[in-house]
Amino acid sequence: MRDYEVVYIFKSSLTTDEIEARLEGYHARILAGEGSEITAVEHWGKRQLAYPIDRNDNGYYVVTQFTASPTVLPEFERALKLDDDLLRHLVVLSEGELPVPAPLGDRSDRRGDDDDEDDDHGRRRRGRDDDDDGDDDDDDDDDDNEDGED
Amino acid sequence: MGFRKVCKFCERNVERMDYKDADTLGRMITDRGKILPRRATGTCARHQRQLGTAIKRARYLALIPYIQGYHS
Repeated sequence: MRDYEVVYIFKSSLTTDEIEARLEGYHARILAGEGSEITAVEHWGKRQLAYPIDRNDNGYYVVTQFTASPTVLPEFERALKLDDDLLRHLVVLSEGELPVPAPLGDRSDRRGDDDDEDDDHGRRRRGRDDDDDGDDDDDDDDDDNEDGED
Repeated sequence: MGFRKVCKFCERNVERMDYKDADTLGRMITDRGKILPRRATGTCARHQRQLGTAIKRARYLALIPYIQGYHS
């Protein structure tokens, strides 16, 4: 069993019902495996593509998390490839913890104190130990201009 | 240009780069869409590697462009 995440981009001309029907069809192929589980389905909705794909300027994004055995993936992905209304799909392993979304704006020192804080459950502690132990510090100091201090 | 010495992602204790976060990734590319080098951003080696993967995934998903400002 491994955790995966798949992003679908559907043609935005599809209706919600058509998209739901397709998702159901794909997910049936995941659930065909013993002990598989769909853990989350998130609809981003219609979004502008950064570049046209097959002359489509918009796409309908859906992100799904699931747990499954790797053996179900070939059949699953084959179904995705056959669907002409699916502009893109990406299946990736989804293990480890996701970062909290970046604080918008230029400052990153006010970590986490936005008012819509979802005080994540111990997510950002126990990360790496932050001391870079000096080994990758080879981009040595190009900022030795002495007018930097005031 | 900054004198930033600490990697942005280390500051936020990023364990795994999110390829779906177009806002963050969008700030790590040039205005033409190229990946910014470490020397420009101060990203540490570990996170720069993750960033490369994340940006490439995000490009594939049309969240960020392969080439910005190119019209055939």
